[in-house]
Amino acid sequence: MSAEPITTQSSQSRQRAWDKIKKWANHVPAYLILGFWSLFTIFIILWVMMSSLKTNKELFKDVWALPTKLHFENYAKALFAVDMEYYFLNSLVVVLISVLVILILSAPAAYVLSRKKFKGSTWFMLAFIAGIGIPIPLLFIPLFVIMTTLKMNNTLLGLGVLFIALSLPFTVFMLSGFFASLPVELEEAAIVDGASDFQVFFRVMLPLGMPGLITAAIFNFIGLWNEYQLALVFLNDPNKSTLSLGLYSLSNGMEYTGDWVGLMAGVVIVMIPTILLYIFLSEKMISGITMGAVKS
Amino acid sequence: MKTRKRLIILFLLPASLVYLVFFLIPAVWAFYYSFFDWSGFGQNMKFRGLGNYRELFHDPIFLLSLRNTLFILVVGGIIVFALALLLSVLANSGIRGKKFFRAMIFLPNVIATIALVTLWAFIYNPSFGLINSFFELIGWEAGAKFTFTSMNHIFYSMLIALIWIEVGFYLVLIMAGMDKIPLEYYEAAKLEGASQWQMLTGITIPLLWDVLSVAVVLYTIFALKIFEFPYAFSQIQPPPEIYTVGMYLYIEGFGKRDPIYRLGYATAIGVVLLLCVIVIVLLLRRLMRREVIQY
Repeated sequence: MSAEPITTQSSQSRQRAWDKIKKWANHVPAYLILGFWSLFTIFIILWVMMSSLKTNKELFKDVWALPTKLHFENYAKALFAVDMEYYFLNSLVVVLISVLVILILSAPAAYVLSRKKFKGSTWFMLAFIAGIGIPIPLLFIPLFVIMTTLKMNNTLLGLGVLFIALSLPFTVFMLSGFFASLPVELEEAAIVDGASDFQVFFRVMLPLGMPGLITAAIFNFIGLWNEYQLALVFLNDPNKSTLSLGLYSLSNGMEYTGDWVGLMAGVVIVMIPTILLYIFLSEKMISGITMGAVKS
Repeated sequence: MKTRKRLIILFLLPASLVYLVFFLIPAVWAFYYSFFDWSGFGQNMKFRGLGNYRELFHDPIFLLSLRNTLFILVVGGIIVFALALLLSVLANSGIRGKKFFRAMIFLPNVIATIALVTLWAFIYNPSFGLINSFFELIGWEAGAKFTFTSMNHIFYSMLIALIWIEVGFYLVLIMAGMDKIPLEYYEAAKLEGASQWQMLTGITIPLLWDVLSVAVVLYTIFALKIFEFPYAFSQIQPPPEIYTVGMYLYIEGFGKRDPIYRLGYATAIGVVLLLCVIVIVLLLRRLMRREVIQY
């Protein structure tokens, strides 16, 4: 009589253990597939970093082998002999200033479009959204004429202006989505307290919208840091090259120089800033993509 | 009321002005240039009417580039969305490290195109590339001799690399949409004995429809205007086998070794591209329009 509840109990716990194993076994394919995909990406990046510290001879002998000695001179060469140090500075200056101006222009516009509806505000919004669909290559030739007329062709200033103009549609779209998602109570309270529209924007909206602004900044920074099509069309002077464009010329020169490890060092130099940003801010970035597209 | 008007003007004007001058006006102006024969900046323009457009549709290279672009859109799109959905479902199946996997799969999207291209040039290199040396390592001779970057294969090799990048982007969108689906639906379905597949087609996809239709439109725009990745992928002189419409536009307008440019023709290519975007996006919106399911 007394034996029965014990067997039920032990069979119950056995059942539970079995369920656990089954659940875990169910997850094996997920781990395998996701793990393989992630490992592949991690592996290639680590492998490039490793190769950038070898000599060309070592690399060609065995692509899988670890470097025998760490050849940091590849980096020195990429930075100073190939002038990547200037490209790096060019990119940093143009991209940072552009991102700042993009925010200064977009935030007020997005605020008005999401909160101060007026006659025709929908049309304004649609005009900005249309920019997301216009293929940039269509603009190459007309923009080239405009830039030449304004004597801004082949200058970093001109490139910055284009960076700003072409980033506006997405940024305005993203930020107005973000502003629209903020609660209105604080604004209303400020208005009741007698704050002007300007004060409401600067004292309430901007502080509240900071997370959105930061996301927009990271997004634009990464996009512009990585971009090379505008630089390719609008900069001919190698001294004014951005880092991405500099790497492009370096990789095109490969058929003459054969300096693969130098190229790998260049790749790492271009990748590092955005990967670092990503390591610290990946959640913010990922939330940024969904800010406009997935309505909350 | 007066200050409000002032606020709207002050806040909206700067962005609108920059956008108008450096984006919208050039886009409209492109239509004008597309009616001319124009062999270079500083050269005289000759009116050609619809001549550029007529020529385009008999130009085998343009048709090839159009075919390639549509291939990236349709075949590439189906693969990207199938993989992104599959990986999202797997990542959402209650495993540990969901955020880690999502971050890793998205990672290529933060790396410069030109760096990614160099990575893949290395992976595909016939003499010491990762894939070929891997095949050599496992003793598969036919595989070890395969050249991914030959004329016949370069487009598909490029597409594989592109898919690897894009899956991460759409995975993030899809996973965000999935997070909004209440778990109770799945629990109820499980109680009724629904299979994984039934839950995917019966719950996940219908409730994800809004997100999916936005994602499909975004991919369409991206695929149609693609230029940077295939252009850099093929190094200094891309073979027509890998041309996309965007690349052909650039090469006709700027990128030739001998400076015989055709600016009017190149702009006509751009106009066709814009029309493709408009028509296909409108069509997709029509096709994907459904009653919004409230939940």
